[in-house]
Amino acid sequence: MTRVRVTAPRSLRPTAVLTGGRSAAALREAAEESDAGQLFVRSLIRSQLRLALVVALGFLLILLAFPLMLGLVPGLADSTIAGLPFDWVLLGAGIYPVIGLSAWLYVRTAARNEARYRDLAGDK
Amino acid sequence: MNPVVGVAAFAAVTLATAVVGFYGLKVSRTTGDFYVASRTVKPWWNASAIGGEYLSAASFLGVAGLILLSGTDALWYPVGYTAGYLMLLLFVAAPLRRSGAYTIPDFTEARLDSSAVRRVTSLVVVVVGWLYIVPQLHGAALAIRITTGLPAWVGPVAVVAVVCITVVAGGMRSVTFVQAFQYWLKLTALAVPIVFILLVLGGATGTTAPAAPPAVNPSALAPAGPYQIISLLVALLFGTLGLPHVLVRFYTNPDGQSARRTTLIVLGLLSVFYLLPTAYGMIGRVVAPDLAESGQADALVLLLPGRVVGGMAGDLLSALVVAGAFAAFLSTTSGLVVSLAGVISQDVFGGSVRGFRLAALISALVPLGIASMTESMALAGSVGLVFAFTASTICPVLLLGIWWRGLTDAGAIAGMVTGGVFCGSAMVAGSVLGAAATPSWLAQPAAWTVPVAFAVMVLVSRATQGRVPRTMTRVMTRLHTPERPLATER
Repeated sequence: MTRVRVTAPRSLRPTAVLTGGRSAAALREAAEESDAGQLFVRSLIRSQLRLALVVALGFLLILLAFPLMLGLVPGLADSTIAGLPFDWVLLGAGIYPVIGLSAWLYVRTAARNEARYRDLAGDK
Repeated sequence: MNPVVGVAAFAAVTLATAVVGFYGLKVSRTTGDFYVASRTVKPWWNASAIGGEYLSAASFLGVAGLILLSGTDALWYPVGYTAGYLMLLLFVAAPLRRSGAYTIPDFTEARLDSSAVRRVTSLVVVVVGWLYIVPQLHGAALAIRITTGLPAWVGPVAVVAVVCITVVAGGMRSVTFVQAFQYWLKLTALAVPIVFILLVLGGATGTTAPAAPPAVNPSALAPAGPYQIISLLVALLFGTLGLPHVLVRFYTNPDGQSARRTTLIVLGLLSVFYLLPTAYGMIGRVVAPDLAESGQADALVLLLPGRVVGGMAGDLLSALVVAGAFAAFLSTTSGLVVSLAGVISQDVFGGSVRGFRLAALISALVPLGIASMTESMALAGSVGLVFAFTASTICPVLLLGIWWRGLTDAGAIAGMVTGGVFCGSAMVAGSVLGAAATPSWLAQPAAWTVPVAFAVMVLVSRATQGRVPRTMTRVMTRLHTPERPLATER
């Protein structure tokens, strides 16, 4: 067996995953060719972009709220949790669950958007 | 510190990397296996590998050092490094995987159907890669000097030598296994010592938690204003998604959905990891503020276990931390060298195997030259500037390329050049003026260079609307539609 160095992908061949007589490549072609197919694609892209923007903005607002809260609520920055200063706990550990939750929500909803697209485009 | 400890730790990491690489090589032997591997790599492995490659010297040493220097202001760095992956997940993970591109120049060329865009993107990617390797080598110089007492240049030379040998010999082909192993090594190397440090500190003071960090600032740094924090966050949030070594790893996901799942796990792994440097920085402010005064803040992580624990146990813990640090230098540097070599060899040497080896040498030796000529700034800070550069050049072309149908080749080139020139000049001006004399809009340029790059890209594309490639509809469909019909889930 010869070994070949791989530095680039093989030519972008269609993946022939056959399911119920209709391949992914055929589905894509249908989507590319027809006007109706393009309509579905455009609406999929729009809903994915809207979802990404909403999650990003929501996260940034929460991120912004953290320093504002510390600055505006008197005494909060000086209070402690389990012996640790509150601002350290908030910025050093409290943001990570927010990031994880946003990511999880996004992954779930994005997959749902795609499932809806498949239903629309696949049953045509 | 006992000098043998540092040398032994470095040797052990190199050996372990070689062994894991060799084992992985046996698992994936043939070309066929290599391609199949892209479908069989589990999200957990893949996510660990991405984490291993991403956690560089800046994360391992720099974050704790910067927290020691500037307190809560520095906490924005780990937050930004992690949230950058959230942005990557939201805007580029699945479409980039679906593009089938292996490097960023591959993507821009396919999307805009233009080899001129490819050449400009390649140039930017190579600059980003080199700038990103330099702080890794500075970190290696620092670690060698602190832990072994050898001259500082030994560290970067050793790292570059190990990376060159493994990449040129082909030992890094099983890169997924090696990088995944490096993530867990780095996590262990910080987690085990911190447990002992907390036990010792808790025993000494009678409390379980360390005392509150001193209010006094151990350095002369002025606290960061809102502009600096916002600009830093812009750089970190939008810089991550353009890093050249990140995209290659997404290619090993079987499809767009698993690319998302992998990124989700990466976010978890990064969140867990960054709690540790934060803890080191916090404890350092209490027990080792003198390091900040003597300008050795970046060495905090390396020195803290020996200082607090001491004796034989301290030596062992120090060895573990040093090993983790070298894992950070090696994994990030080799990841970058592999992806840079891929870009350089395709664009300059026509993609031959000899060309790849030559390109790998160039990719590693140029930053070695730069590193030997420059002084180490704060590690986390200099990596932050690289993120600003990426956010001003590659990020706009990726985001607009994925989400906007109107992008043209002329717009992409104009935007990348504008962002690159502005951000690059700010970086040069900042290093000429020195940290103290640089105004904050030059020290943290991302807040204005990123919007300018986006604006130029959009305006020039609008003006050259006739140049929208004819392949655009097909490419956009490919980027956003799921790969498989939903037969299994129905």
